Amino acid sequence: MNFNRFREFLPSGGVLLSEESKRVYECDALSAHRVMPGCVLLPDSVEQIQKILSYSYLNNIPVVARGAGTGLSGGAMPHAEGVLLSLAKFNKILEIDSVQKTARVQPGVRNLAITEAVKSFGLYYAPDPSSQIACTIGGNVAENSGGVHCLKYGLTIHNIMQLKIVTIEGELITIGSHAYDSAGYDLLALLTGSEGMLGVIVEVTVKLISKAPHSRVLLASFDDIEKAGNAVAGVIANGITPAGFEMMDKAGVRAVEDFVHAGYPIDAEAILLCELDGSEEEVEIGLKKIKILLKQYGAIEVRVACDEAESELFWAGRKAAFPAAGRVAPDYYCMDGTIPRKHIAKVLAGIQILSEKYKLDVINVFHAGDGNLHPLILYDVAIPGELKRTEDFGSEILQLCIAMGGTITGEHGVGIEKINEMCIQFRDDELEQFHAVKAVFDSKNLLNPGKAVPTLNRCAEFGAMHVHRGEEKFSELERY
Amino acid sequence: MKEKVELIKEHVFDAIEQKKPLKIVGGNSKAFLGRATKGSLLDVSDYSGIISYEPTELFITARAGTLLSDINNTLFKYGQMLGFDPPNYNTRTTIGGVVATGLSGSRRPYSGSVRDSILGIRCINGLGKDMSFGGQVIKNVAGYDLSRLMTGAFGTLGIILEVSIKVVPIPEAEMTCSRSMTKGNAIVKMLELSGQAISLSGSCYYGGVLYVRLSGNENSIMATKKKIGFDTDEQGVNFWDQLRDFKAPIFNSEKNIWRISVPITTVPKIGDSQFVLDWGGGLYWLNSDRAPKEIFDMAEEVGGSAMLFRGYDQKQEVFQPLTNGLLSLHQGLKKAFDPHRILNPGKIYASL
Repeated sequence: MNFNRFREFLPSGGVLLSEESKRVYECDALSAHRVMPGCVLLPDSVEQIQKILSYSYLNNIPVVARGAGTGLSGGAMPHAEGVLLSLAKFNKILEIDSVQKTARVQPGVRNLAITEAVKSFGLYYAPDPSSQIACTIGGNVAENSGGVHCLKYGLTIHNIMQLKIVTIEGELITIGSHAYDSAGYDLLALLTGSEGMLGVIVEVTVKLISKAPHSRVLLASFDDIEKAGNAVAGVIANGITPAGFEMMDKAGVRAVEDFVHAGYPIDAEAILLCELDGSEEEVEIGLKKIKILLKQYGAIEVRVACDEAESELFWAGRKAAFPAAGRVAPDYYCMDGTIPRKHIAKVLAGIQILSEKYKLDVINVFHAGDGNLHPLILYDVAIPGELKRTEDFGSEILQLCIAMGGTITGEHGVGIEKINEMCIQFRDDELEQFHAVKAVFDSKNLLNPGKAVPTLNRCAEFGAMHVHRGEEKFSELERY
Repeated sequence: MKEKVELIKEHVFDAIEQKKPLKIVGGNSKAFLGRATKGSLLDVSDYSGIISYEPTELFITARAGTLLSDINNTLFKYGQMLGFDPPNYNTRTTIGGVVATGLSGSRRPYSGSVRDSILGIRCINGLGKDMSFGGQVIKNVAGYDLSRLMTGAFGTLGIILEVSIKVVPIPEAEMTCSRSMTKGNAIVKMLELSGQAISLSGSCYYGGVLYVRLSGNENSIMATKKKIGFDTDEQGVNFWDQLRDFKAPIFNSEKNIWRISVPITTVPKIGDSQFVLDWGGGLYWLNSDRAPKEIFDMAEEVGGSAMLFRGYDQKQEVFQPLTNGLLSLHQGLKKAFDPHRILNPGKIYASL
């Protein structure tokens, strides 16, 4: 493929062809999967993106869009014969409307940069994936990213109003509007979380939220993980919607406490972090109510942060969970399933059994409020066979999530990582419907090919592989 | 219930074979919406019943024919509700119709729209395939979000069989306050209120009065009321209910009723038409006999979209025209779900 043709309409330095310059793009944060892209393009205008895409369309060149490359499912893993389209230069905030409470931004703007830019108006952008310091809004839309405050403030889809996309044929289309409702089908929802399969996002209008005047975090410890799980369900059933509601198991607490000294009780089997926000009075009343509830559900200790600083310290521990895992093992593999809250304890027990089966330790942290699990499997890539064992372990965790009525991905996306598990979550007819939708936008299958939705052939092979194993899944677990 | 699904599938197969479209109907309480369509009636109202509801999980799954009133009553028993405040035009309104039309009430800017609350859908497409998308959990990004795509599609992409919807707690207390003022002042006030961190759940200007609904606990509501300087409105509950259920006096008119969604910071040129301004300035209800094209142009001028909500000519286009790029994507999607064009063809746009 002659990628040099792109030099005709891209700025100098906008076409990377040498191996050294392409190296940093060969994977996203799912670093176990690497492919050297055919070329890397760095356009700096929407017109250039249109030209890149229409040229690629005419010449049948695959295109993979990439933001900051912080994705955890290999969604931005390049194509060996294709274009890796970096949106890094689209990093400007185009317009802030503090009255309408919206911001129009380019896709390469970092998530946290939006909040920083609107802070002085008492506003912020709510979805806060843990990578928010680095991840970009374009990637957030492509993955429908969440964060710790989703329970109350929603995912990316609930916090955007309008997108501009360029189709594979090079057409610029505006989807949604700055009004609450728009005419026609909800293409905004269809595009959000579509993992770069339907179009390239070139502009995003996000909703902004007024910052609550007051917020406070409490920390509850439990001597039994099941009690902690039930307490989460209990608080929610009582009509309280915390701004954040997180859970961590003993292994997580210990790893974190060694690392950041957040004051977590290291003897607890599980801890809950619960944040309330609102007026000072609402928060006070809510905290009282939750304290009583948590005690009723068996909390051995409930500590309310005495001030903002302690609130931040409590959160610092949770936010340090992933790096803390990195300190106790050479590598960790972060999973992302969602289950109905009521099954938290059962799924944790299941993960424990799998941990013994695969002889790999696991740390459990999760967004308990919305049932989104992030088991961190600890392994060492240097030990032959351990990565494979880790991936098999992860796959079984995802299948367990499906069996419990949940899903294989809550917020990280399918990408290349969970493509096989899609065959378990969806039936052939449903996968065919996904392919039919894809074909509407991308009839030649050039945008991020091979990701997000498996071909039926792949599923047939994956199914066959499972039969070969000759074992029933989770035979060790009680089924209901 | 299994047999009922099979029966619906057979209707689809027959329709394909006979090349005769289907007109999908639930409670038929919103028959006046959308464009007029022809076809054999497919009544899904007897595919009904709540399948799963657990208050701790904050969702409810119900068959399409389940009455909205049954769902509301069930949720109410556990202190929960649908956050998007769906209209209940008569006692036959079904949850399938609520999702298919995607209409949200006055709470929409504050607790989200129908599609914001949709977690999953089971449907039959135009090929008779029985499919499920999404699920029952809040966070779910596996596959394209086809359940939200179907919300508000008026049955043109699939026959909705079952829906899973997020529910929210009923606020501990609510109060409606009001104050008389001019339209200009009301718009300024609405924007000012939306910029404050207060627990609003309604903000609507009607008949020279700005109505504001506050939600939360008793004390914080009182404090907010004091802060904004409004008077308690004893008729408040009725006001919102009537507006939502299309019973407010403005709707009792011989003229066309338009529903126009606009950016809150814009002021469309509505002339001297009688109007209600809801959603904190984001939704106009208009009583007007102006030509549809004029209204569509007026909405487009401010970046909004209009819908002829109740008109006397359902043969014309009733929804804001789409740009060419969008229309061709819509046509492609229609084909991807319903290649034989048998599901409510022409309901939202003539060519879909």
